Amino acid sequence: MIGYFTNIFRNSRALVSGHWITLRYMFKPAVTIHYPDEKLLPFEKFRGALLFDANTCISCNLCVKACPSNCIQLENATNEAGKKVAKVAWYSIDFGKCNFCRLCEESCPTKPKSVWHALDYEMIFTRRDEMVRCWKQGFAYVGKYFDSKSKEFKDPEGQISIHEIPPRRN
Amino acid sequence: MSDIATPPALATSSLKTDQMFINMGPQHPSTHGVLRIALTLEGEVIVKAVPDIGYLHRGTEKLAEVRGYHHCIVLTDRWDYVSAMPNNLVFCLAAEKLLGVKAPARADTLRVVMCEMNRIASHLLFMGTYGIDTGAFTPFLYAFREREMVLDLFEMLCGARLTYNYIRLGGVMTDVTPEWIGRLKEFLVYFKPRLDEYNTLLTFNPIFMARTKGVGCITPQEAVNWGLSGPNLRGSGVNYDARKHDPYCGYETYEFDVPLGEEGSCWDRYYCRVREMRESVRIIEQALAKLPDGPVMAPGVAKVPKPAPGESYAHVEASRGDLGIYLVSDGGISPFRMHVRAPSFVNLAMLEEKLVGMKVADVIAILGSIDIVLGEVDR
Amino acid sequence: MSDASEDNKPAPPDVSPPTPPAASVAKPLPKPALPKPVFPEAKLNHANGRLLTDRFATWPQAIFDSAWSRPSYRMGAGLLAGIVIGLSVMSIFIGELTPWGGKIYALLESLARRQALPAYVAPLVWILIKVLIVLHIILLNGLWAIWWERKISAHIQSRVGPTYAGSPKGWNFHGWAQTAIDGIKLLLKEDITPAAADKWVHALAPAIVVVPCVIAFAPVLFGQNLAAANLDIGTLYIFAFAGITVIGVVMAGWGSGNKYSLLGGLRAAAQIVSYELPRGFSVVPVLMFAGSLDLAVIAKAQEGYWWGVVPKWFVFYPVVGQIAFIIFLIASIAETNRVPFDIPEAESELVGGFHTEYSGMKWSIFFLTEYGYVLLGSLLLATFFMGGGASPLPFVPFTLIPSWLWMLAKAMLMMFVFLWVRWTLPRFRVDQLMDFCWKFLLPWSFANVILAGVYLAFKWA
Repeated sequence: MIGYFTNIFRNSRALVSGHWITLRYMFKPAVTIHYPDEKLLPFEKFRGALLFDANTCISCNLCVKACPSNCIQLENATNEAGKKVAKVAWYSIDFGKCNFCRLCEESCPTKPKSVWHALDYEMIFTRRDEMVRCWKQGFAYVGKYFDSKSKEFKDPEGQISIHEIPPRRN
Repeated sequence: MSDIATPPALATSSLKTDQMFINMGPQHPSTHGVLRIALTLEGEVIVKAVPDIGYLHRGTEKLAEVRGYHHCIVLTDRWDYVSAMPNNLVFCLAAEKLLGVKAPARADTLRVVMCEMNRIASHLLFMGTYGIDTGAFTPFLYAFREREMVLDLFEMLCGARLTYNYIRLGGVMTDVTPEWIGRLKEFLVYFKPRLDEYNTLLTFNPIFMARTKGVGCITPQEAVNWGLSGPNLRGSGVNYDARKHDPYCGYETYEFDVPLGEEGSCWDRYYCRVREMRESVRIIEQALAKLPDGPVMAPGVAKVPKPAPGESYAHVEASRGDLGIYLVSDGGISPFRMHVRAPSFVNLAMLEEKLVGMKVADVIAILGSIDIVLGEVDR
Repeated sequence: MSDASEDNKPAPPDVSPPTPPAASVAKPLPKPALPKPVFPEAKLNHANGRLLTDRFATWPQAIFDSAWSRPSYRMGAGLLAGIVIGLSVMSIFIGELTPWGGKIYALLESLARRQALPAYVAPLVWILIKVLIVLHIILLNGLWAIWWERKISAHIQSRVGPTYAGSPKGWNFHGWAQTAIDGIKLLLKEDITPAAADKWVHALAPAIVVVPCVIAFAPVLFGQNLAAANLDIGTLYIFAFAGITVIGVVMAGWGSGNKYSLLGGLRAAAQIVSYELPRGFSVVPVLMFAGSLDLAVIAKAQEGYWWGVVPKWFVFYPVVGQIAFIIFLIASIAETNRVPFDIPEAESELVGGFHTEYSGMKWSIFFLTEYGYVLLGSLLLATFFMGGGASPLPFVPFTLIPSWLWMLAKAMLMMFVFLWVRWTLPRFRVDQLMDFCWKFLLPWSFANVILAGVYLAFKWA
């Protein structure tokens, strides 16, 4: 009999203390952020979208070998005599395959890095074509994608830069 | 498989009742991914349950056979995607055995810190989702609020929030900064009282206890027979923890307890995990106190490692149990064979027997309490 | 790397580059200055937004410690206080609503007489007006309660809930228009009837669920003597009609042709029928004290104050009042199928329970009914146990406020309890739910009736 009532008392106390916690948090401010209006700046080491600089690349193929998902392809530039030179003719990253593992950036021997992770985490692809980003001499760091319908290079539509100048580690 | 595809025949009973065949999953709110359980019901009581896996199979074991050792670490991130650090670690341990490399002391300590942080994050996710399974939504968001802080710390350290690729062959990716350590300490100070709140809100809630205590009990003998590991095994009272019984990364130098359950019920398994979070906090504090100086990467790890022919096995106490990797090298640049002993996969095996005779509501309680991650089950 | 395939070569290299060919830079020139990176315009999303550079300022302890130093928090608290005070002052100017009914009826009668209409026209129109008012109370309550539930649950869970719906020009105070816009969306959605469903039962079920809910509101008090119909057997009437809803729920479960729905429907039948009993018996002490089934009489029986401060509400009757209150509250929550008694719709077990296969407006009718019953339960709790429209304290600022606002405030407080419980507790299992009802609530409600009899026998009440 006493056990019955202590049981009721103990259970009700446990329930009420649970309610007390939720009530207390109700009067505390929210910890969430309003995403499209407020955006978090990632930390400096964040592994976001990959950027590429065709001017500094020496076309050494190390990033191609370092990539675990074979998403990088490049082609050497050639001079007038048809000999390969330490410049890149074109370079492409397939973001449909990319693991964002930073192995390519770590293996890049140039200073500053020719391929590096930006802080951009808002990559939107509306078409498969957009996933394959290409670079050539004169293309911006963000690169372009090759539109298979209109047969021309286009700026990626879904890319929003979180940060104006992405850091580029040496 | 043919027996689960067709509904069972009518039950022969004096009462005119009909058995009902229900597909729970792969699209169901609480199958934690893409698990399908083919249930045969008698009213609300289950007479037969057949788990059906394979919806998330990505063939990482086979993929590893055509990739270099550095690349395999990236693959390991994708098994147990809510606690990827132990996955990285176990592959590195196995590969380091083959290569004959030993990680420096600082890297070992950092590996311990990362694995324990990830254990906290993983158990928080378990706690939250288990709350949802039993109908309490609020603990889920409280748990995620704290989990977010751990993920922020990981992001600050290695740049990723889920697939870290942080633990590398011969060490770790980068060294920690003093600011990072300060933030981690700040988190631990904040986190410890939160555990008491979770206990008040969910663990010792009478309704929650009624739902989970005495449900899905596994005897120690059964647990060992099924090959369970991790909190599922310890919930049954079997004291086995790879960190204690086969220490790696210097776990023998830390002082921590192994929480054990009593009757092996869902609640015991749950409560083991909650107490493990507290032990993880203890381990992290000790590790931070004795963090040695020195390099974080051992010298002499080749860009394209080619270990001598041989085989190695390494296992760690991952968040979900005993995670092991068996590596065979034929001297080439990629493993000849990699086999993963995934704890979720082994733990899942008990479902078929344990669900029989339970109610539909208990299916969710038991399934939630063994804490599977389908990425690891199917690999 | 060996399997680098040829099929996904991204760009045919023969497309002419827009810049000088790469061959010209092969000569060892002085290193050219890096071109300024060009980023494409953001097109698919809002503009960059406000960049939060300090991640650690968004950590919980940093936010919790500095609650009052945050302008948004202070503003929210101020707004809340402003709304409460503004509503009270406004209500004082409006005054009691009961006389308005008489005035409107007199106007109707005089109009009817002037038009030389038959005698039954004025009462008929008046009844229609009252029905429309009650119907709109239920509809508006749906709008309000869903928004409120979202906000309360969000704040309990350290979130903010809806914030954007409203107006693009900044008049989106806490997403006030969220449910209205959701309702429009639900109206426009495709109404799907599954192929396996029993078409007629499937279509009829929402109607059978919602109609008794509306009818049950007839004798409910919204203030002192403020009810659509004055029924002597109001209490019985409400319970009787509220009990019909379960038929609709079972029909929904059975007619959907879905096994999850069927389980949900069966569970609902068992649960609602069981909880009718403790719910009814817990009110019996109140009826015994008040000596009537008429809600207005019950509310009137609770007038007055002990020692001039403690109101003579039934909830303050020692032991018997609290037990009855708690049992009625629990049973009301169970009747509305809400957590911790939401086993008929148990999201994590039965996907959606009896409304799994419903979509669009049919689905929203189930929710309308659920919130209608929440309001009904809150109003009944306020009437039976909290003195109806009586002021809690016999002092000037409180007694000035009219009874309908007190009723509203008490009902809203009770509704908050409904939401609060929902967002705190986990869910029962089916057998535990039945155990709890038959082995705990029902015996205690019987004991409570006996206890009330003892009170009456000794003339304590």
